[in-house]
Amino acid sequence: MIGFKTKYLFISSVFLALFVCIPLALQGQEKLHYAGPLQVGKYKGEAGYDYKVVGKDTLLDGPFLMERSNLQALLENEDSSFLFSGTFKDHYPNGSWRFQFGEFQSNSQTQVIDYQYRVLVSGTQEEVNGTLKEGKPDGAWTYTVNRIKDSELEQVLFKSNIVFENGIPQRSFRIENESGTLVGRFLRNGLAHDEWSLYITDEVEAVESWFFNDGGLEKVQGKENDETKVVQISVNREEQRKTINLDARYINILQLQLPVSDTLNVFETGMPKLLAENAQYYKKIDDILSELGESAFLPEFKVKVAHFPLNAMEKAQLDSIRVHFEKSRTISESLLNSTQLNILKLSDEEALFLYSVVRAISENFINPIEKVVDYQEQGILEFVRRDQLIRKLWPKGKPSVKIEVGKEADSVGSTRTFVLPNAERFNFDGNTMSSVEQLAQYATFGLDSIQHLLNNKLTKEQRQQELIALEEELIAQSNGLNNLIDSVGSTTTQVNKDALMQIKAIADKSLSRYSAMEEVTSKFDYARELVDCYTQLMALTKAVSVLPAQWEEIQERYQDGVWNPFTATVMNEEVKKRITASYRKVLVPYFLEWAQSDLSCDNADELVLLMQGTYRRMMELREEETSKLERKLRKEQDPKMVMQLFNIQNQVKEK
Amino acid sequence: MRHYGKNTAWVLILFLICSSLSLSAQEEGQEVLPLESKFKEPLTKVWFNTYGNIRISKRLFWVAQTHFRLQETESTPFVGQMAQIYNRHAIGYIYSKKFNVSLGGVLRLNFNTNEASMDRNLVPEWRIWHQYLFAMPLSSVMTYHRIRIEHRWSQGFAENSEYIFRNRWRYMFRLKVPLNSHKLEPKTFYVSPEAELIMQSGKEVVASPMEDLRLTTTLGYIVTPRLTFAAGLMYSQGQELSNGGIYKQSWTLRFHMYFSPDFRKVKNKLPEIHFND
Repeated sequence: MIGFKTKYLFISSVFLALFVCIPLALQGQEKLHYAGPLQVGKYKGEAGYDYKVVGKDTLLDGPFLMERSNLQALLENEDSSFLFSGTFKDHYPNGSWRFQFGEFQSNSQTQVIDYQYRVLVSGTQEEVNGTLKEGKPDGAWTYTVNRIKDSELEQVLFKSNIVFENGIPQRSFRIENESGTLVGRFLRNGLAHDEWSLYITDEVEAVESWFFNDGGLEKVQGKENDETKVVQISVNREEQRKTINLDARYINILQLQLPVSDTLNVFETGMPKLLAENAQYYKKIDDILSELGESAFLPEFKVKVAHFPLNAMEKAQLDSIRVHFEKSRTISESLLNSTQLNILKLSDEEALFLYSVVRAISENFINPIEKVVDYQEQGILEFVRRDQLIRKLWPKGKPSVKIEVGKEADSVGSTRTFVLPNAERFNFDGNTMSSVEQLAQYATFGLDSIQHLLNNKLTKEQRQQELIALEEELIAQSNGLNNLIDSVGSTTTQVNKDALMQIKAIADKSLSRYSAMEEVTSKFDYARELVDCYTQLMALTKAVSVLPAQWEEIQERYQDGVWNPFTATVMNEEVKKRITASYRKVLVPYFLEWAQSDLSCDNADELVLLMQGTYRRMMELREEETSKLERKLRKEQDPKMVMQLFNIQNQVKEK
Repeated sequence: MRHYGKNTAWVLILFLICSSLSLSAQEEGQEVLPLESKFKEPLTKVWFNTYGNIRISKRLFWVAQTHFRLQETESTPFVGQMAQIYNRHAIGYIYSKKFNVSLGGVLRLNFNTNEASMDRNLVPEWRIWHQYLFAMPLSSVMTYHRIRIEHRWSQGFAENSEYIFRNRWRYMFRLKVPLNSHKLEPKTFYVSPEAELIMQSGKEVVASPMEDLRLTTTLGYIVTPRLTFAAGLMYSQGQELSNGGIYKQSWTLRFHMYFSPDFRKVKNKLPEIHFND
């Protein structure tokens, strides 16, 4: 009985669980809701949205809202608020969307009206409204930037009205900012068509008009200083044409295509500027939408331009041009910025000439070639005829292999020509990429050879400078040595004084030998030797001058306190007398004799080391067991033997 | 200062003992005391003294002294002939730099300097002695207080003469003043004035407790901490044993050699030199 009941209960619970959970689970896979903090790009705020999970992907689906505003921040300083609201469908923004960006300050004063606290704000507010279809703008879009003062609209800073159909701009558009308004129209395929006009706020007539025909620009008419200027764009119907976006690149292409004389500043200020401003705002929205889901929110205004594709050979040549450009730019900059060269050129005519050549190459070769490299990076070259390009780059014609520069610093007067020995190998003729490549090569080779010439010159100059520095050091050392000898000589013993005088004599002799030398290279080497030698002699002088002090130290160290029972005092007694006697009577005279008779720059070092080692050893021997040594020293008068017994040489070697 | 106090106390005690002893001895005197004290003509003497202090351990040393004392006679004026040879030995203990004690024995050989005497020429004399030496630095000068107590057995030159026993109580005060240095150190000359009072007691000492008062000045030269030479002149006077009314006097030329070898191994002696300072 009990068993049956339990079984029944179990089955019914399973059914109950299934009935309740399955719909829940199904619904869960359909839609989930999120509410909480979210960061999208640089925007951080509170968000609420629906989403679904497919596989491992989270897809936004359903209404989306994200916003932020901070009253506290507003009252304290300023607040950046925003609001994004719209709908996603399968991760694509779809349907009506609204974006708001506000940068507000408040005057920190509040009013109570009815049952609300009111704070007046000032700042700018951007308001964007429109419809999207599968991530692409579809229908009318307005983008407005307003300046707000005390919570009221003060001025429209920017406003654009564009109608899209499936991402492609349609019919007419209107973009305005504080200074002007641009109106224009498109064909159904988004190509610019007919007259696009820019009106300045104070003028009745259009100040700038661009005439398109099926995307192709035919004429630009602009006003400059109350004078109407017309630029005809020659259109060769036989040329291949390509549809591209009307953006900065297009403007650059136009500038390249126009003849040199037809420079209208409209390309920098008028219509292109407004279009660029508009594109920038659209990109702001695209960044947000792309971060959230899939979108292509760009005002894709289309135009048609002549197209001259780059062939394989031209592409290879461009690669080579880039390599040459980078190398020659590096060389020319290092040379032009070299402080050494800049100083040398003031005194050296040859250096000045080479410097001027580098500057000429930099201006006439490298700068134009840099533009080619730059255009290539922007993807412009394929829209410009090569001859047009070259004329634009070298309006006065391409430079020649013979680079002529003025002899004087101010480039007036006689000139001098630089030419590479293998110049005849180069051919700059023809308006082709190949000629540009030749120019790039010539610049590189020329700079290479100049760098080589200048490096030799600079190295030589550097040696000269170093020699001067060495000489200064030598003089300082010589003075230092003489001063030291003079100051020590007046206080020391006669024997020490004789040794010091000998050191001085050797120093003086070396210096006069140096000054008698004429050849720079050997002089340089000898100066270096002398600097070392003087350092050694200085050390030797110090070693000799400290001998009396060292002897006192040694004497003090070789004292032993002895208890004298008859006086009941501790008396110092000299100990290990044989060692101190050997030092005083054998070693020190040997060192001084060496300094007086055998001293040279080559062995001064050795003598210093021996003297220092001997002193150190004397200090050590006091504490060592030396009875055997003392026995051996008894009759030893040979300094070398004594040093050997003291183990000085080995100690010097170890150091 | 504490040492000075102690010393003074010692000296006072000695004086008290001595004076009481001498008082009691006088009562049994056989010699007739003169009405006035009589001072004999001073004798001249020459002493050659060697003083050895041989270090045997950190605190112990062996005192080995040999003195040759000559005395003038009729035939040998001034320098005189050999009167005594001392052999003094002891073991000393260095308590500190400022205090040491010694205990040992003396064999003194007495020569008969009386040319007319038909008695023995040489008799031995035996002593046990102990000494307490206090040393105090005073600026560059060293001061010393020496208390030496001797127990002596001596006999006359006559055949079969008996040993007599006496105690000697000696106190000496001495200075050593370096002359060519700021302290006593090798290659230093020093001058050393000293005064010693020697009192005696014993059955035979009846009216002559003051055996000797010695006033000396020596000039010394410290060759090394282990070797010093000194020479000086001493005036002394003291009561004759047989008659307290008669005072001997003498002028003595003294030549001293002080030596203190240390045969210990270097490693044993290095750290202990300074004792407990």
